[in-house]
Amino acid sequence: MLLKTVFVRLLTTAITLFGVAVVVFTLVRVAPGNPISMMLPPGATEEDIAALTALYGFDKSLPHQFMIWIGGVIQGDFGTSITLRQPVDELVLGRLPATLELSLMALLIALALGGLVAVIGARKRSTGTEVGLDLTSGAVLSIPDFLWGLIFVLLFGVLWPVLSISGRVDPRLDIDFTTNFYFFEGLLRGRWDVVSSTFSHMLMPAMSLALPLAAMIAQLLKQNLKEVLNQDYTTLARVRGFSETSVILREALQNAALPTLALVGVQFTFLIGGTVIVERLFAYEGLGNMAIDAVINRDLPLIQGIVLLFAALFTVINLLVDLSYTFLNPRLRNG
Amino acid sequence: MNNLHAKTLDIINLNVTLPNGHRLLRDVSLSLDPGEVRALVGESGAGKSMIGKAVLGILPTGISISQGEILLEGTHLNALTPATRRKTIAQTSALIPQDPLTALNPVRKIGPQITDPLTRIHGWTKARALARTRELLDRVHIRNPDRVLNSYPHELSGGMRQRILIAAAFAPSPRLIVADEPTTALDVTVQKEILRLIRELQRETGTGVLFVTHDMGVVAKISQKVTVLFGGRVVEDAPTHRIFENPEHAYTRALIAATPTPNASTEPFRPVPPALIAELHREIQADDDRFSKRAHR
Repeated sequence: MLLKTVFVRLLTTAITLFGVAVVVFTLVRVAPGNPISMMLPPGATEEDIAALTALYGFDKSLPHQFMIWIGGVIQGDFGTSITLRQPVDELVLGRLPATLELSLMALLIALALGGLVAVIGARKRSTGTEVGLDLTSGAVLSIPDFLWGLIFVLLFGVLWPVLSISGRVDPRLDIDFTTNFYFFEGLLRGRWDVVSSTFSHMLMPAMSLALPLAAMIAQLLKQNLKEVLNQDYTTLARVRGFSETSVILREALQNAALPTLALVGVQFTFLIGGTVIVERLFAYEGLGNMAIDAVINRDLPLIQGIVLLFAALFTVINLLVDLSYTFLNPRLRNG
Repeated sequence: MNNLHAKTLDIINLNVTLPNGHRLLRDVSLSLDPGEVRALVGESGAGKSMIGKAVLGILPTGISISQGEILLEGTHLNALTPATRRKTIAQTSALIPQDPLTALNPVRKIGPQITDPLTRIHGWTKARALARTRELLDRVHIRNPDRVLNSYPHELSGGMRQRILIAAAFAPSPRLIVADEPTTALDVTVQKEILRLIRELQRETGTGVLFVTHDMGVVAKISQKVTVLFGGRVVEDAPTHRIFENPEHAYTRALIAATPTPNASTEPFRPVPPALIAELHREIQADDDRFSKRAHR
């Protein structure tokens, strides 16, 4: 049963990724803009253009090009970046840790903040506090992540400059880590200088990404909590002498988290999409920032690699959400 | 305030009101001696469940006690702060809910759902709580308590869950149990068994029980006293034998007559006459007019 589930899952993942590969490969070639013209200086001869086009294989038919590329991908060769002249997989995997750290930090902030506001809202339901929290989260939700980024830069970069507004880590630091997970590896190695520097660089972009999601979690989780708090088992817990706060935390929260989780999974993939703009805003050296450069430079192999990686990331997140669903809901456990 | 000879429960002129002033309970008075079972009967909306909810402090949001007193073991509940009231109620009372399918938390195992209140509210040790829980599960004829304690609610049948809820209610040895139509959601074969268990445990422990039901057959089996309610008003309050042998009020007589009997095919069903219901509504209206005059004076 479990084996079958895993197999079906892997198969659908493979089909999804293949579909993404076809679409992105076709789109970047059909869209206007030519990578060759970006590489040559003005006044290049027809021969130069033809030679370069042949070198990168752009003279072959689209299906032919695709077969060459996908054949390489299956063997783990994602091609070479046109602008950076390095293997795409090295470039992309080198940047992935930065984006993962940023998104996870944002997710943690969103869960903590949204969860806290939801619990307080449910605790103070039908009072002015609940109305105030609703209005605040509505306002927070209506401001997009990049605008939050600008607000934070103004607040903590200019007016009260306590946080770093650009880059991922202080370049003066000597980092000889085995992975590019500066924050996590710094934690493990006890390199607090690296940890605090990456944290200071990460906090504002992470907050910008987290706030809209936090507001969404707060609203939905509070609504679910209020419904669960009308259930018979929460009433019984009150009769048994538990305070309202402990009824919320011990009896209601896990039940209310189930429907919220589905949304968090979907929204987290949007959050990762949001890193593209927010990383650019803070010159944070992650995948998103690289994606923008790749698009501007018509670096086709790099665009394809980044999009494929994002797609793989989304399917992994969906899988994790489904797994956590089973973990939280005992009714799904033995099936 | 707290004396040894106090009644288990004493309700004096209780009025429970919606935010718009509409009364759900109208000057309800009743009392319960230690070890006594009192049935609260009436049709849907008569306010019988509302009495239990008011006593246990679990009135739905917006509904509140506007007048009257509730004394639990001689303690005036209204005089207490919400936190102390919650503790007092939890120390002396328990609830057997109506629907066993929704009264257990679906994501938590049965064991902690029973033992948690014993250790965290009553301050028992874990071992004592577990021993007591096993003892009661055995008492309600659950054969393999360890498997049940490790189960989730969805793994057990409705009748099993109701027996667990009965065990949980009796576990802290409460002085008062509110049983809110505990057999309504179960099928008929299980109903008898559940009723028998409640009666047995009640006799053994000497717990006072407020038994909410609309089933006159159940009333005859389980209670010593009966309060008949209509429209949030007490229509009749008498010992059970007198209710059946010599009911005073026409509505009580109509309720008894409306109870289906095993030979329903030969005897026609006799519902409560509409004229009687209209008469009762007129009385309630007059009552409300007096009440609002009293409130405005």
